[in-house]
Amino acid sequence: MSEFEPTIVAFFCNWCTYTAADLAGTSRLSYPHSIKIVRVMCSGMVDPKYVIKALLEGADGVIVSGCNPGDCHYINGNYKARRRIKLLKEILPQFGFEPERLRLTWIAASDGLLLSEIMQEMTEQLRALGPSEARLKMVI
Amino acid sequence: MHKKIGKALVVGAGISGIRAALDLAETGYGVTLIDRSPHMGGVLSQLDHQFPTDRCGMCKMLPLVDRDASSQYCLRKGLFHENIEILLSTELVSVDGEPGNFQVLLRQKSNWVDPQRCIGCGECAAVCPVEVPDTFNVGFSPRKAIYLPLPHAVPNSYIIDLSACTQCGECEKICPTGAVCLSEQERKRFRILVVDDELIVRDSLKEWLEEEGFSVDMADSGAQALQKLANDTFHLMLTDIKMPGMDGVELLEKAKEDQPGMCVVMMTAYATVETAVEAMKIGAFDYLVKPFEPDKLIPMVVRIYEDLEATRGRRVEAGAVVVCGGTAYYDPSSGINPFGYKVLDGVVTSLEFERIFSGSGPSAGKLVRPGDGRPVRRVAWIHCVGSRDLQAEADFCSSICCMYAIKEARLAREKSHGEVETTLFFMDMRTFGKSFQRYRDQAESVCGVRFERGRVHSVVGDPDNGDLLIRYVDTAGKVSESRQDMVVLAVGQRPAAGSAGLAAALDLPLNSWGFGQTEPFSLTRTARQGIFLGGSFSGLKDIGESVTQASSAALAASRVIHQSGGSLALETPPAAAPRNVLREPPDMLVVLCICGGTLVQNGGGSVLIERLSVDPAVSNVTTIDKTCTSEGWEQLVELVEKHKPNRLLIGACQPYVYARKIRQLAARIGLDASLLDVVDLHLSAVRSPNDPCDPPDGFHPALRRQLAALETGLARLKHVDPVRRSALKVQQRALVVGGGIAGMSAALAIADHGYPVDMVEEQATLGGNLQWLKRTLEGEDVTALFDETRQKIDKHPLIETHCSSRILTSFGKVGHFVTTVETEGEELRTLEHGAVVLATGGKEAPTDAYGYGTSECIVTQKEFEMKWADGSLDAGKLNSVVMIQCVGSREEPRNYCSRVCCPSALKHALALQKENPEISVTILYRDMMTTGFTETYFTEARRRQVLFVQYATDNKPTVKVDGGGARVTVFEPIVGKELEIEADLVVLATGIVPNLPGKLAAAFGATIDPDGFFQEAESKWRPVDSLKEGIFACGLALSPRSVTEAIATAEAAAQRALRILCRDSLPAGKIVATVRRSLCSLCERCIDACPYQARALDANGEKVIVNAAMCQGCGECATVCPNNASVVDGFGQKQMLEIIDAAFH
Repeated sequence: MSEFEPTIVAFFCNWCTYTAADLAGTSRLSYPHSIKIVRVMCSGMVDPKYVIKALLEGADGVIVSGCNPGDCHYINGNYKARRRIKLLKEILPQFGFEPERLRLTWIAASDGLLLSEIMQEMTEQLRALGPSEARLKMVI
Repeated sequence: MHKKIGKALVVGAGISGIRAALDLAETGYGVTLIDRSPHMGGVLSQLDHQFPTDRCGMCKMLPLVDRDASSQYCLRKGLFHENIEILLSTELVSVDGEPGNFQVLLRQKSNWVDPQRCIGCGECAAVCPVEVPDTFNVGFSPRKAIYLPLPHAVPNSYIIDLSACTQCGECEKICPTGAVCLSEQERKRFRILVVDDELIVRDSLKEWLEEEGFSVDMADSGAQALQKLANDTFHLMLTDIKMPGMDGVELLEKAKEDQPGMCVVMMTAYATVETAVEAMKIGAFDYLVKPFEPDKLIPMVVRIYEDLEATRGRRVEAGAVVVCGGTAYYDPSSGINPFGYKVLDGVVTSLEFERIFSGSGPSAGKLVRPGDGRPVRRVAWIHCVGSRDLQAEADFCSSICCMYAIKEARLAREKSHGEVETTLFFMDMRTFGKSFQRYRDQAESVCGVRFERGRVHSVVGDPDNGDLLIRYVDTAGKVSESRQDMVVLAVGQRPAAGSAGLAAALDLPLNSWGFGQTEPFSLTRTARQGIFLGGSFSGLKDIGESVTQASSAALAASRVIHQSGGSLALETPPAAAPRNVLREPPDMLVVLCICGGTLVQNGGGSVLIERLSVDPAVSNVTTIDKTCTSEGWEQLVELVEKHKPNRLLIGACQPYVYARKIRQLAARIGLDASLLDVVDLHLSAVRSPNDPCDPPDGFHPALRRQLAALETGLARLKHVDPVRRSALKVQQRALVVGGGIAGMSAALAIADHGYPVDMVEEQATLGGNLQWLKRTLEGEDVTALFDETRQKIDKHPLIETHCSSRILTSFGKVGHFVTTVETEGEELRTLEHGAVVLATGGKEAPTDAYGYGTSECIVTQKEFEMKWADGSLDAGKLNSVVMIQCVGSREEPRNYCSRVCCPSALKHALALQKENPEISVTILYRDMMTTGFTETYFTEARRRQVLFVQYATDNKPTVKVDGGGARVTVFEPIVGKELEIEADLVVLATGIVPNLPGKLAAAFGATIDPDGFFQEAESKWRPVDSLKEGIFACGLALSPRSVTEAIATAEAAAQRALRILCRDSLPAGKIVATVRRSLCSLCERCIDACPYQARALDANGEKVIVNAAMCQGCGECATVCPNNASVVDGFGQKQMLEIIDAAFH
């Protein structure tokens, strides 16, 4: 039996984090292949329903990543994302998901290595948490 | 597509070059942007953090209007713009002609790797046997001879460092796409004929030259040489003079008949030097005296080769040239006191510290000492290394080091969660810019950075434990020692390598330290008309100043091109309206690039085709080889024209490369560009170490990822719903508020481009502070400038001045503002304009400190200047003058530096000294803010015995009026005693307060900062813009600054306004938000959420309208909308949900 490989849906902002992901790719840094990257223009564009949709589709975890505070190309989209994700984490248990399955990070353009580390770390955490069972329980 | 009329050349693709090029491109000019390095971004590509945000934000420089003409991704990756041609590894050779019509010769170096073919797979670097220090990481980490100049650039193609390459050919063998072309090297094509009767000479020359990569042929006599010349073309002949039979001179004569273009170098023994000189008269290029070593011969041959290459260089025409040649940093190891640099572990320069701290740096952002790798707990910065140092021949301040040192210290504290102790050793803390002082105060009070005023004597290593000991003298003259783990040398500026050559090629003067010299009252104009300076080439500047100056240089260049006949008005060809596909079902063509077989791996192509064809929206899936090449692209265009799909998805590597091609293809086939998309198959194809080697279903994870990427692309494209948005009409005239030097300069700059300007001035006459300011510190005549500018304004047919007038109200948005102006004794007037420049100025701050107002002997700097000018002040009658700096400045509530007071004090002190050498002038200061080259006046003042006493805010001087004079007491820290000075005159430097009423700013939608200055969109990247598009500010309304700097901001503001005014309409972007009225409940949450104020209720309050030119497509409105009424094109809910679905395949 091979090790559980959690599926992570990653919403990356077009400016900083996506650049970091590119950098991680061109620098041949390893990150888990089960990450599904969805490019959005801004982390502030990530509607909570997209996160929930991803979890319902079978994602074991969702990561939203944008520019560092003060860095946002759109001035303050990342701050809005921060507020939104915090609230979303509060209500996730009502959908049957552990709040740890959702994570918000800031990854700057040159932090390819950090991105790879965060992905590894998240994978480890989700491994410890086990596969998301919510989808099995819920019928929508 | 705009018709490009004028062309400009921008030299240097650092941040200033990018800004200047973008500004010119956005106003419709064609721009050639060159840089001699193989990457863009200059030094900023190595710096991850910029204050005040301590992060990046470079992308905010990208165009906001018509932004689809340019790349829309991180600027660190690179840049493209429709109107900009970027040539890297390119140097400027010469510029001939006159302003408006320059002929420029460029020389582009080959990097030996074809960027069209390189896919950045890195196989070559893996096999390259040569390791050299990596310049990107300032030598801290190794790289191969074949390498990526920047790890994050896009497209990222490998290049070969020829100085390190041994030409072993391994990379060429392994390259899967045949991109490496070592054997096709150009040096091989340079053919040399060696003629000598001695075999040993011929052989050794052949060996030396072939090692350098040249092709060498030999002849043992003149006759044989002539035979070879008759059969083949040679570029260079090296010939001995004394040979049996035909001698060298005769051979030269005959050879020149055969091949007149060939270069001939004579080799001579000492005895025949005279003959060699004679030979030069009949056409020999040079001579070499035998015996000679390779280090004599090779540079000469390389030079001949390069000169030949240069004549083969590329010629471009340009109306004007903007030189943003950048700057270099002082190398402490070259100085008398290197502070242990390159000797002790842990002594680094500030640039090296930035790399250590970077996530892509040698230690991945961990603060450890390079060399011994020891973790760092204590760091100290030593300021003014290589600046303000006569021993280092640097009688100048480098302007930016104080702030970057504070930034680095704050970052070290923040990243280590306060564990790292940070100390700054400084002489004067030069926090002279907007918000700098508060940033510094916060560093001390909130972040816990220690500030130690003093002079560092030396840094020595502790042999016992490797600690670094800083020995320094504090302000009281006491010698102390401080123990550190790391010492950062805040190094100052030096002219960039090659500055002198560049200046010579352009025929530009340099100042005495080798930096670009500009004309009086201009930061950009040079002695040669039509050539302008931007950025740090004329002295180091921080990003905000560089960007401002670059915009100002762009304006100057634009003026020249415009005046020489290149109109700024854009001609928009009647673009055929794209086909309306709204009612057609998706009919998608999917093209997969197999990239020489590497991208779609072994048989993977058929699996992908099979899976994709299942989707009913997909009508065709095909593969093409190397879509990125011109042949590949033509094949693709043929396919598209054959199938006539209404959507096109391309799977290839490096999607960014296709942006321009996609736009052109879309126009050609009559589809909206948003219906064409490229997804990256390359990154998903990279095999992860976690991938199972032998997947159970035979479906390799890499292939699975490629499929997911393609299906995501399909999902996005399927639901694209291009809405034709009408472009916004632009009222092509400007309003300038304020008629001081900034306002007048801005008005002239705009009007000179043919757009009418209304200038509104509160007072009865124009001029503002120029009415009383007479001379600058440098001795330039301000009155003459004022008269000249006013005459130009009066004569200009397109400028209408409204004096004794004020703005009552304004409404509207970029492209169309409607403003009501009230003029004394006249009826209200309504002005319509497309952009507004706020140049409302500022004035000397009022004060009642130090007994001001109680005696005539206490005056302000302004009063001194006026009295000095009208002659009511007689220096001969004064014995002692005391000047007090920072009166009410740089402490709350006016906690900012006014920047002009220290230079003014020096100006006054030097003037007094000149009139009356006996006079005693004492300047009481906190930190002397003589930045840049004004430092020399500080040095001169000290030389002329002007006394400087530093005081602290908790122990300020006191002034007591005593008869006709005053008694000033101040604590002098060096002698440690209170001094009492009898003064005939006390001059107070009270600083500048702005004159920008919040109501006025708000009328246009701009905001003011806590000190009352204009709040810029971004202090570094958009220093003269308001967050709301169409509103710009300059001069003192922006922040305190000198006359010259005010003019530069005015020109920058004008340039930013011209981007809008030069268009008759503003196009909407590809990704903008719209409102579905049927779903909208008018809750107005989206209006509050929009950071760009692009949304508003319409006049009747019945619907939310989006200004498509102001909307930047961030999607905030869509996320806050409770009814899904707000939709961002390309990121609609249906699309997003399907994309998430597709990701799970």
